[in-house]
Amino acid sequence: MKAVGARLPRYDGVEHVTGRTTFVDDVRVPGTLWVKALRSPVHRADITGLDTSAAESMPGVHAIVSWKDVPLLEYGHLAALGIPADEPLLAKDDVRYKGQPIAVVAAEDEATAQAAVEAIKLDLNEQPALLDVRKAFDSDAPVIHQWGNWYNHFEAEMDRRQIRKGDIDWAFEHADTIVQGVYRPAAIEHVPLETQVCQVVPEANGRLTIYSCTQALYFSMGVVAAHLQLPLNRLKFVGGTVGGGFGGKVDTATETMCSLLALKSGRPVKWRWTREEEFLCSSTRAPWHMEIADAVTKDGWILGRKMLTLHDSGAYARFSPYGLTKHSFHHTGAYTIPNLAFDGYAVFTNRVPTTAMRGFGVTSISFATETHMSRVADVLGLDPYEVRLKNANRIGDTSPNRVVYTDPSTVPTIQAIAEAMGHELPADYRTMTRHTREGELLPEHLVAQVGNPEDH
Amino acid sequence: MAVHKGRGFAAIEYPTGMNQNGDPSQAWIKVKPDGRIDVFAGTSDIGNGSKTIQSQIVAETIGVPYDWITYDNSNTDSSPVCTGTFASRATFVAGKAVEKAALKVREKILEIAGKELEIDPGDLEIEDGEVVAKGAPQKKISVPDVAAAATWGHGELITGAGAQLKPYAAIVEPETGRVDLPPHSAISYAACAAEVEVDDETGEVRVTRLVQCYDVGKAINPTLVEGQIEGGAVQGLGLGVLESCYPYYPSVDHRGGEFGSYLAPGMEDLPQIDTIIIENPSVDGPYGAKGIGEMANNSQPPAIAAAVYDAIGVWVTELPITPERVLRGLEAKAEPRREGKKVVFDEELSVNSVSNGSIRFEVPA
Repeated sequence: MKAVGARLPRYDGVEHVTGRTTFVDDVRVPGTLWVKALRSPVHRADITGLDTSAAESMPGVHAIVSWKDVPLLEYGHLAALGIPADEPLLAKDDVRYKGQPIAVVAAEDEATAQAAVEAIKLDLNEQPALLDVRKAFDSDAPVIHQWGNWYNHFEAEMDRRQIRKGDIDWAFEHADTIVQGVYRPAAIEHVPLETQVCQVVPEANGRLTIYSCTQALYFSMGVVAAHLQLPLNRLKFVGGTVGGGFGGKVDTATETMCSLLALKSGRPVKWRWTREEEFLCSSTRAPWHMEIADAVTKDGWILGRKMLTLHDSGAYARFSPYGLTKHSFHHTGAYTIPNLAFDGYAVFTNRVPTTAMRGFGVTSISFATETHMSRVADVLGLDPYEVRLKNANRIGDTSPNRVVYTDPSTVPTIQAIAEAMGHELPADYRTMTRHTREGELLPEHLVAQVGNPEDH
Repeated sequence: MAVHKGRGFAAIEYPTGMNQNGDPSQAWIKVKPDGRIDVFAGTSDIGNGSKTIQSQIVAETIGVPYDWITYDNSNTDSSPVCTGTFASRATFVAGKAVEKAALKVREKILEIAGKELEIDPGDLEIEDGEVVAKGAPQKKISVPDVAAAATWGHGELITGAGAQLKPYAAIVEPETGRVDLPPHSAISYAACAAEVEVDDETGEVRVTRLVQCYDVGKAINPTLVEGQIEGGAVQGLGLGVLESCYPYYPSVDHRGGEFGSYLAPGMEDLPQIDTIIIENPSVDGPYGAKGIGEMANNSQPPAIAAAVYDAIGVWVTELPITPERVLRGLEAKAEPRREGKKVVFDEELSVNSVSNGSIRFEVPA
């Protein structure tokens, strides 16, 4: 019996549909304390005072953790990729988004924890917020981040992700038509059924057992180990079964704070975000602002593309520079465009930091470039399938980064849809393949694009 | 007042594995004394089905039934590194790690079986839980008997470990974006057609049909592939016409903090979804597979936007395509500005209109 290619039953299917799977929230540990967070009530402010003494002395309150309790307050989750740290685990000098955690409380029950949160004395000096990425560059814009209003630590300390290929001026000079448009997909929530949830148990042997809904056990373990400055053998992550993530559970949103509270109180602790916290305080998919100008010929060749992207990172960098880089690598979509000039900025705003979500960096580019492609076809009066097939990635074409495509499938997937929709294609488009360009599909402007797949 | 029908189309691509790579996955496998297989990997299953997919790869690679596999990703004490379940990497990258570990286990089973049968391991193969001599099927020993012989006779543990890591692809020219290695494990492709109905009185967009084609390289489990594609389509529908954290972005006003004020797709929103799977194998994925988990929600928004234009002649390029945006678009009947060979859409949204001039989008004429 073949296993690969077979419609075998899901390994965990019966457990899931009969409600017998153990998710983090199903773990029960006697003596558990409950966690609530003091969060910023405003979009941007300087913190001028934080006094937890009254809350600490309340009956049933076992531990309160603020920035002072964190061994390493700022840790860059993608330090390995050269993205430095900018975000404190708990706010110290200022708050930069509504909902930012400032202190966390562990108490006998959720109501007591919430009462203690409300008893913490917080003094803020509110500051003007920046919310529109397009206005971040204005001379009168408030400066909201220690690096300025956009990320400036790309390779060679560049302040933008840049792609340059070919001769963009030649393309626009030789174009019959230049089509320009602006594309703005929205921030959306991940909406997992399971909200952020974590249980941490301090073991007698000094280890911490961390029940986590993370999408990445080792990644999150590395984050906790870094903030707590502990070797990995002090931590045991238990998880691997997640009630929906879609990218939002790469954030390690709860594990570190719960670990600090467990160590400080010596008791098991549990933090289960409310649905409202999940909607308002958890990270979101980023909103993007994209402007495209394509230099095209009247018969549908795309000679060149100029593009500006402003990625709304929210208050801190998190994974945004990574997402923007991925975005830039794919800004030609499923097509081969020889002349390119792309500039992308990861812009800070005073909203919840944005993060990975299904299609990270590319969902935006697919919307922008494909809607633009439909517009180009419409402006030129050409068939939208044919324009796409003509410019499609072919085996041997090179990417914006000069990588040779080995197995592109723009052509067969488009042909399959044309057939399914009863969309008549001319014979030469019906019989087109994904193989190396030649003949009419290899015009002068694409000759230099054809490389050898064996090179990579 | 009428309902207008329209059709739109989009074609997309998406990389498998973390951008620029450098994202390892590891696995180890041990065999119980009766031949049953324990797989340890650190891959979180976020509903994507990676427990199932990796179990199938192990069963196929060793040559034993699927229900002999126990898969344990429950904790970091027993499971080795997996960078994580994101970047469409669980099938390709983590799947490749378990395939490599399974190949080592297979090799060890053949070695012990060779001793038991007194046949060169190179002349043996494993099929459906039995080790059989090539060309002489009467000479055979079951995998449970091999495992028992290893445990009680030879004093050996049948085990194997594997790891998959594509080296980090550095950006060697930050000015141009040139990289020194392919910055992905594979690229996957898809295309989507959308059919919509737009009510020009209420502005409501109803997506009535999505027809989608994915080149998945190899469908390890076609049912789970269809699940990813259909689930992704629903999420793409949400992106296209329903969901927004900030309905008046960039303003933060009217942010919804509950299901009643944040519109995620429900059953009543679902269109007819037709799925076509094609298989052009990837160069080096497990059994030719590519990752398609994430891209499954990328093609619908542009296909829907084009369908709305086909229906009512209005381009809505801010998502989601809400009734308010449709009605404002119908009212404005905006035409692009034409100047020389330039056709300029959406000028009011451009940084050139909103910024006080310190950032510009300059387009040569």
